[in-house]
Amino acid sequence: MLPRLKYLPAFIVIMAAALLATPASAREPKRGGTLTYTYHPEPTALSTIATTAVPVALVATKVFESLLEYEGPGLIPRPGLAESWTVSSDHVTYTFSLRKGVKWHDGKPFTSEDVKFSIENVVKPYHSRGRVYFGNLESVTAPDPHTVVFKLKAPVPYFLKAFQASEAPILPKHLLATTDLANIRQARLMHEPVGTGPFRLKEWNRGSHIILERNPDYWKPGRPYLDRVILRVIPDGAARAIALEKGELDLAPMTALPPAEIKRVGALPHLATSTDGSEGLGPIMWLEVNIREKPLSDVRVRQAISLALDRQKLVDVIWLGLGKPATGPVVSGNPIHYDKRLRPFEYNLEKANKLLDEAGYARGPRGVRFKLAATFLPYGEAWVRMAEFTKHEVGKIGIEIDTQSFDLSGWLKKIYTDWNYHFTSNFIHNYADPSIGIQRAFVSSNILKGASFTNSMGYVNRRIDEIFAKATVLEDGPARNQLFFEAQQILREELPVIFLMEMAYAHVWNKRVHGLITNGVSMYSNWDSVWVE
Amino acid sequence: MRIRLESPTLSFVLRRLIQTIPAVLAIASLNFLLIHIAPGDAAELLAGLGGHATLEYIEQLRREFGLDQPLYTQYLLYLKRLLTFDLGTSFLQKIPVIDLIVVRLPATLLLMTSALLLAIGLGVGLGVVAATRYRTWIDNVVSIAGLIIYATPQFWLGLMLIVLFSIKLDLLPTGGMMQIGAEKRGLLLALDVLWHLVLPALTLGLFYLAVYTRLMRASMLEVFSADFITAARAKGLSEWVVAWRHAARNALLPVLTLAGVQIGHLLGGSILIETVFGWPGLGRLVLDALMQRDVNLLLGILFLSSVLVILANLLVDLLYGVLDPRIVHR
Repeated sequence: MLPRLKYLPAFIVIMAAALLATPASAREPKRGGTLTYTYHPEPTALSTIATTAVPVALVATKVFESLLEYEGPGLIPRPGLAESWTVSSDHVTYTFSLRKGVKWHDGKPFTSEDVKFSIENVVKPYHSRGRVYFGNLESVTAPDPHTVVFKLKAPVPYFLKAFQASEAPILPKHLLATTDLANIRQARLMHEPVGTGPFRLKEWNRGSHIILERNPDYWKPGRPYLDRVILRVIPDGAARAIALEKGELDLAPMTALPPAEIKRVGALPHLATSTDGSEGLGPIMWLEVNIREKPLSDVRVRQAISLALDRQKLVDVIWLGLGKPATGPVVSGNPIHYDKRLRPFEYNLEKANKLLDEAGYARGPRGVRFKLAATFLPYGEAWVRMAEFTKHEVGKIGIEIDTQSFDLSGWLKKIYTDWNYHFTSNFIHNYADPSIGIQRAFVSSNILKGASFTNSMGYVNRRIDEIFAKATVLEDGPARNQLFFEAQQILREELPVIFLMEMAYAHVWNKRVHGLITNGVSMYSNWDSVWVE
Repeated sequence: MRIRLESPTLSFVLRRLIQTIPAVLAIASLNFLLIHIAPGDAAELLAGLGGHATLEYIEQLRREFGLDQPLYTQYLLYLKRLLTFDLGTSFLQKIPVIDLIVVRLPATLLLMTSALLLAIGLGVGLGVVAATRYRTWIDNVVSIAGLIIYATPQFWLGLMLIVLFSIKLDLLPTGGMMQIGAEKRGLLLALDVLWHLVLPALTLGLFYLAVYTRLMRASMLEVFSADFITAARAKGLSEWVVAWRHAARNALLPVLTLAGVQIGHLLGGSILIETVFGWPGLGRLVLDALMQRDVNLLLGILFLSSVLVILANLLVDLLYGVLDPRIVHR
């Protein structure tokens, strides 16, 4: 018996692998076919240089590539247009070896000059997050056609996360050489993209659809599997759900359907729903509070509001389960920087009332302590209902709320330019690192009139400023994590915003589609391994 | 039944066209003012849509859009451009406004024309039938059905029609203007578009159908009491000839007037219908432009639609003369 046993571990591993592999990859990927998806609104351009809005990024990431690809929810860098890379011991020099034989969609060869030009002349100055990722960039050099060297002024711990197709797309230098870069957003390339990605633009029929077709010269052998990717423009949420139900659409990514419709059509036998695959974005929702004036300048008042909100109920009733209660600024899906010791926020009306009494806001006539003006992010029905929910819940502790509504443009002005609000619902993306996603909302240097999704609250805490300043240049590891853990603790206690919920982007697709969820930015991946039955 | 382009009519048309110039300029100025009263601008919005933007980025955009200029400078530039028929470039899409409109206009015109023809054609017919069968069950059915349709919200009606004809009966597509990527041409393409047009045109047309049916019925009843109808009947003409040849032609005038006035309303209605059916027309473009504060695009569409409404009303005026030769334009 004994000799046979030595094969047992191998046997178990194989069986386990086989079990895990079914049913998703029980069938071999099939080449050919079309994937039709919908998202609203229609993109305004096809490059994230023009704008990083979701609809634009969804299309652009299939056409343009960056130096790296990413694996898993934590976005582990893998080779992309760069075959390999090295990092100097002082973390300020990154050397990338580029793949040979890669061609642009127009047939011209891709070289290191394209990379240098794209990052230095386009991404850094014109991408909406260009200065975040490449602010510390000293120089880019291209010693030979297949080598690029990035030199930084100081270490950037998240530098290798920058090379996502949505964040640092590599553009064809030969098509931009004569363009006045100050008007890059008007360039033809923004509407007629020429990239290196697995798909190239075939047709854009404005108001109706966009067709991407297979790039026959794609550098990955045998890829992409799909012949075509089609975006269909359907402005009405209910109509999008019906088209998916009927099989006219294969995919509604990133909560493209209203929550109620996700619940309804998600239950249909031919459709699948998942909230995985957006960990690299990490949307977190909160009540943004203007803490410049009384009574919201008093931390006890903010704590009382926090205690009055039953977050589980909010998730279940308003968002129909699409998310989970927040425990702080960092989403729990971030495997590295999230402090796992954090507990859910308490729901306790008695304590809330006590805090308000202590703060000196006694109940007046009709039990009202004071009145506040609230507004909400104008992103659709669920946000309106959340505003009603909040009004009702904090009403229980004697805070009367007058809810005002604006369209997006008006809302942005009121919150970020005028700072003329008491509180509003809002959400931001964590992105791949707290220095990118979280820092911008809480450091005092980001109290900037007019800049959206910054510290509109007027929150100043020297320790928070110090933590983020240190973390920006510290190598990723336990010491840096410790700083972020401390920040999470401080922000939880001081509540410059009232953390509500980790939102979950729900993707609904027809079960004939396979291979959609691949990493923490699945919908911004290039879909070269997606296939349809 | 032909428009005689003799000098009085021609000079009438010319005079009317010249009269429209100050009207159009006034509308254009009002549009400009209204848009700038609304809070927020396209630069803030574009930055906001990206989820994150530095102050430099927003200022860069504002410079790019010319929003850093004082308002009166922007206004003068706008007027100057308008006089040379230059509608500018869309802030967000970075494409000349006129190009965007030209691509979307045919879809909206097709939808509006189909809906209008359906509404007037069927509405007039039903109105005449109801009037000639005054106070019979036919009249009651037509009147009550009209009232119900009139009171039904259009977007809801659209969704219900989709559920019925697309999901339950599987007869018609849920939306869009053609089968995407099928690369049909010629007659096949026309049939494909027609197939996609049925539901949106029906949804948009039904409301106006109800309006015109009721109006035509009332108008017919009024005409029926006129002396010349009594005279026609006394001549021994058949009721069919009396109703259609004598009464209907006269009763049509108020319907026509209303149709002219409602062209603008119809354009507004098509925003809703285009949203529900994903119809790639102008209506949807105007709503997006408004939400995105895409000032140039919005002003361009509003300008063009006001011209469109004015021209449609001019056409209606000319049609009066055809229907009632006593009306002479001077």
